[in-house]
Amino acid sequence: MSLIRALSKELEARSDDSLRALFAARPDLMSPAVPDFSALAARASARVSVQRALERLNRPQMQVLETLHLCTNTDTEHSASAAGVRKLIAGSTVAALERILASLQELALVHRAEPPHGTAVSGHRQRYYLPVGSLKDVVGIYPAGLGRSYTELVRLQPAFAQRAVQLVAELRRSGVSIQNATTPMEAALALQHWTSSPEALGEALAGAPERTTALLAKFRNWAMGAVPQAQRKASVSNQGADVGPVDWLLARGLLVPLDAAHVELPHSVGLSLRGGAIINDFSLSPPVPELGSTTAALRRNAALGAIAETLRLVGDLLHAVREQPLATLRSGGVGVREMKRLAETLRIDQHRAGLLLEVSALAGLLRLDVDSSSWVQPPQLEWLALPRQEQWLWMVNAWLASERVPSLVGQPANGPGGVPAAHRALAGNTVNALSAEAQRPDAPLVRKRILEILEELTQEAAAADGTAPVLDAAAVLQRAEWTQPRMARRFSSLIRGVLAEAELLGLIGSGALSQLGSAIAEDNPDEALGILGEHLPAALNHVLLQADLTAVAPGYLAPKLAEKLLVMADAEGHGPATIYRFSPNSVRRALDAGHDASSLLEFLREHSATAVPQPLEYLVEDTASRHGRLRVGMAASFIQSDDEATVLELAAESKAVGLGLARIAPTVLISTAPPRETAQVLRGLGLSPSVDQAEPGVVRLRRTNHVPGSARPVYTAPRTAPAEDDVAAQLAVLRNRRAEASGNHAGPVAGSGEAATQLGLETLQRAIRLKQRVSMNVVDSQGNSCLETVVPLSVNGGRVRVFDPAKETERVLSIHRIIDIEAAEELRQ
Amino acid sequence: MNDGPLIVQSDKTILLEVDHELATEARHAIAPFAELERAPEHMHSYRLTPLGLWNARAAGLDAEKVLDTLLKYSRFPVPHSLLIDVEETMSRYGRLRLEKDPQHGLVMRTDDYPVLEEVIRAKKIQPLLGPRIDGETIVVHSSQRGQLKQLLLKIGWPAEDLAGYVDGTPHLIALNENGWKLRPYQQLATENFWAGGSGVVVLPCGAGKTLVGAAAMATSSTTTLILVTNTVAARQWKDELLKRTSLTEDEIGEYSGAVKEVRPVTIATYQVLTTKRGGLYPHLELVDGHDWGLIIYDEVHLLPAPIFRMTADLQARRRLGLTATLVREDGREGEVFSLIGPKRYDAPWKDIEAQGYIAPADCVEVRIDLPRDERVAYAMAEDADKYRLCATSESKTLIVEQLVARHQGEQLLVIGQYIDQLDEIGERLHAPVIKGDTSVKERQKLFDAFRAGDVNTLVVSKVANFSIDLPEASVAIQVSGSFGSRQEEAQRLGRLLRPKKDGRAARFYSLVARDTLDQDFAAKRQRFLAEQGYAYRIMDAKDVGAA
Repeated sequence: MSLIRALSKELEARSDDSLRALFAARPDLMSPAVPDFSALAARASARVSVQRALERLNRPQMQVLETLHLCTNTDTEHSASAAGVRKLIAGSTVAALERILASLQELALVHRAEPPHGTAVSGHRQRYYLPVGSLKDVVGIYPAGLGRSYTELVRLQPAFAQRAVQLVAELRRSGVSIQNATTPMEAALALQHWTSSPEALGEALAGAPERTTALLAKFRNWAMGAVPQAQRKASVSNQGADVGPVDWLLARGLLVPLDAAHVELPHSVGLSLRGGAIINDFSLSPPVPELGSTTAALRRNAALGAIAETLRLVGDLLHAVREQPLATLRSGGVGVREMKRLAETLRIDQHRAGLLLEVSALAGLLRLDVDSSSWVQPPQLEWLALPRQEQWLWMVNAWLASERVPSLVGQPANGPGGVPAAHRALAGNTVNALSAEAQRPDAPLVRKRILEILEELTQEAAAADGTAPVLDAAAVLQRAEWTQPRMARRFSSLIRGVLAEAELLGLIGSGALSQLGSAIAEDNPDEALGILGEHLPAALNHVLLQADLTAVAPGYLAPKLAEKLLVMADAEGHGPATIYRFSPNSVRRALDAGHDASSLLEFLREHSATAVPQPLEYLVEDTASRHGRLRVGMAASFIQSDDEATVLELAAESKAVGLGLARIAPTVLISTAPPRETAQVLRGLGLSPSVDQAEPGVVRLRRTNHVPGSARPVYTAPRTAPAEDDVAAQLAVLRNRRAEASGNHAGPVAGSGEAATQLGLETLQRAIRLKQRVSMNVVDSQGNSCLETVVPLSVNGGRVRVFDPAKETERVLSIHRIIDIEAAEELRQ
Repeated sequence: MNDGPLIVQSDKTILLEVDHELATEARHAIAPFAELERAPEHMHSYRLTPLGLWNARAAGLDAEKVLDTLLKYSRFPVPHSLLIDVEETMSRYGRLRLEKDPQHGLVMRTDDYPVLEEVIRAKKIQPLLGPRIDGETIVVHSSQRGQLKQLLLKIGWPAEDLAGYVDGTPHLIALNENGWKLRPYQQLATENFWAGGSGVVVLPCGAGKTLVGAAAMATSSTTTLILVTNTVAARQWKDELLKRTSLTEDEIGEYSGAVKEVRPVTIATYQVLTTKRGGLYPHLELVDGHDWGLIIYDEVHLLPAPIFRMTADLQARRRLGLTATLVREDGREGEVFSLIGPKRYDAPWKDIEAQGYIAPADCVEVRIDLPRDERVAYAMAEDADKYRLCATSESKTLIVEQLVARHQGEQLLVIGQYIDQLDEIGERLHAPVIKGDTSVKERQKLFDAFRAGDVNTLVVSKVANFSIDLPEASVAIQVSGSFGSRQEEAQRLGRLLRPKKDGRAARFYSLVARDTLDQDFAAKRQRFLAEQGYAYRIMDAKDVGAA
């Protein structure tokens, strides 16, 4: 019976709870909704769906499934029981395997089957299982990391087939007890027989050169490996020191060359190396990593420090962008030069600047202004006015939901190690900030998973009071490899980056998951807000003025106050406190911006916790009183001053030569340079010119493009289970259909929709494997249908290649033209 | 959140809020590992440097204690990267040790083989090392002990010196505490120094550094070599030692240009030691050829380069450096630390002032508008002459006269750089002028007359910058200086800081020509004092006459 039909029956017989569990674990089965059980069974057997289901399996489940796959045959319906599987998995128990098989059955990845022919009656009481048909395609050619058998290799590798007979002969001559062979197939069987015994193989390996064991260890998890000149000539008769392990193994057929650069460890060799079991590292509980520990105080300090620092730097970054938007490259992203400028402004390294820039952009604090192709801050950014804990949550939510991976910035564009060193200079590209390369659609999912694993490990470690476990990328990866071995590869490239980003946002502190991180991992942002609100002090509204012409803000300063101070003083220092230094230049800047001495002093008095020191007062008043002593005009660009000495001084000034100054009156100079430039030079000389309305009539047009504002990001965790309502609706549809069907006394509608296609494909693929004939109803281009009997050869990309025995030719048909397909002969092997 | 007085910045500075109730406690806690950088009125700033952290290690403080202190007193979370950095930096100290080996003499040992391998491959270090004994031990030429330590410091692997000091020839010296007592901070400075072995004590001018030296000598009770800046200072040391200790006239020798006596306690000038004749330093033997148990460097910030080199050979002897202003315009403060030893005691000037041991000072910058003709001359002058022109403006002389008239009856110094200017001022004020070509005898006479109150006003050149003890001087007028020298300014103010009998505040005027180089240099010169918390009031010249 077709496996899909069998599955369909089985699903139909399940309870609603069991179906709910199935939908929860494999949400793609009901998205979109399926009309009936046969469609559901078809979808559950489809390759893509199985692939997704496999991504959620943990390591023991995966190991059992792969072992089941290796010891059963879906074509001949040769099934296996837990007891049978147990022999192939070292260290397992029947009970544990029964449980795992049952869980796999729940997931519709295996289903119950008849015992294989010839099973003793006593065995009939056991439960027998078969995997879904498409599993074969999903697990690939090396299930459980084991290679193909010698017979298959002989069939597929003509070069090896040619050599096999001679190889066996050589082995016999060298004294190995192996059967004689005259054909390649016989040779393959002989090799298979010889290598199937762990003892015989161990004996042979005893004479191998040193490092052979180490080499073989590299094939432990995957049967294929790369070696230079895989097709080299190697002979058993070669002896001596220059015979390396690869030569030795190739000579004995223990490694089989696939092409010029790759070799494969055959199935039986791999199995013997594992001591005869397919799985020899079976464990029901995840490996417990050895974790260091840090104190809770350090962790909190680091996390809160990182948050305060990140928010401060993002504030500075926005300030810098407001001053000068970030230009983008034609190829997208922000170039190295712009990054350098930004990093210098923020006084951090470029890597960190890149991270911050990305995080700011993904949080919507920066927007790409399409007209000028530069990144700007959206006007009226709500974020700026929020209390710091909410600013933080805004960023964390945006980060969780974002498909951007900030930490990829600065990495080689083709992934780490993706390009050989010699070519890297050519390729030469690293990922630019805000470029398309730092996009990963699965980032939200990976991030969520990593946070979950961190939380899990932290819970498990159950650190003593006052300490917290330090989690590193290796521990997380190890756990990811256990819980989702098929997903682990996607993790491995992102894991370090995600941890670094989490550290930046204070979710990780001193290497340990912080309380905030744990609250976020548990999807409890309100708790995080509460914790943070307690620990982040409110903004200060005063500074300490000192006689050395500095103002110290002892903590986080209200943004508005900081903005105003920046007009009249230069910020120094790097950390929670900011030091503002007043100088004649900075005060002049404030005067230029339209303030006067009294308003400046008034402002300082208002916001100072202490009296305004005399030297500062003097500086402001003195600078103001002399501000505008020189006047620069447009007509010919003139400099006028009532102070003859100044004019004379200026005329003789060597640094002003570029202005082409000429003294036209005792109190007037003219300049050939435009007024702004002139004023610039004069300021450079320590003078304080005021610039008259510089360019009358010329209005500098400032583009006031509408840049869309940013809405506060709302994070919803990536869907891993479907909504309850949807499940209920789906169940209703399935059950109703069954009721209707039973009312009509008709069987499941086999030939309709998804199920039909899947059934047809199943028939086709089975026919290909068993080399059976099928009869197909095919529609030609005129719309006429005709029945054909052919032998299908392969299916690929929506086409099927068939052999037409009547015409003795091969043809290619489009699958969508086949409206019906049936096995022409029910052959059983 | 805890509400401590410290704010730890990610740029490795630490801000200390002075008015906080825990400020004193926190200051004492961080003093062993953080360098005081600035001490204005509300927020002092300290800096964490590798040198400071290593010195803390040398004094027995470990990274954990440092981190604890920072976390305990910090108001905000401490940047985590800084904590890691502190830990890593401190763990580098002591991986290499200098030890005495009974068989091989001075050796360098390590438990960390790769570090030794790295170090002996450094080009500059190679020649200082002898044969390798085993994987972890290598012989060091004992004469290269100082230089090796300095170079190791430079490449970031400071060695822990466990080789100890030579005892020196014993010679009994006792303090003569009748009618006076060692002040608590002097006591503390001496103890810190002695516990640490060698090092530098930083105290403000007038706070009694000589007594710290005397106390150290008493603790050591060995023959002692004292190096000072000039002959007048040498005489002052001698007088002070005679007064404060059990030493007698016969026990103290002077080794200067004029006299060459070697006695159990010998006071030598830097100048005589660095005199070079025929490519040799003939007087260096004084240092090497005697078994001194203690060497004191007065005004250590002035240590000339040859003495630097020479000091490298003196690692086996205890060294005490004394200074008020450890700033060198050549940026060699670090070398002082690595050759003499770490800072063992440092107090902000304002702290000592608050305890009443030095006189409070009022610093005033008087801004003078140059008259028109002088401005024109200044504008047209060559760059090289500009500073001289503005610094010696005639209007300054006028203001000096006004100020002197204002402070009638007080002991007053006029200090300047340019001899012509000083001569002119001396003439106008009818006051004696002390300058480079004034003989030592004449100087001594004038200073004595000034101390006695027979002369009220002295006009002095830079010869009086250092070490001249004029207790009753209460007003100084600086008319010009050597460009932007920070320590000169501080030392000049220092002349006024001896506590006055009537508790009067000292007044320090600095005359500055507005809108000229003079003003730029003045700003630079004032930086050290500003950092120590001395705020300059600024006054316009026209207000001087009016007031």
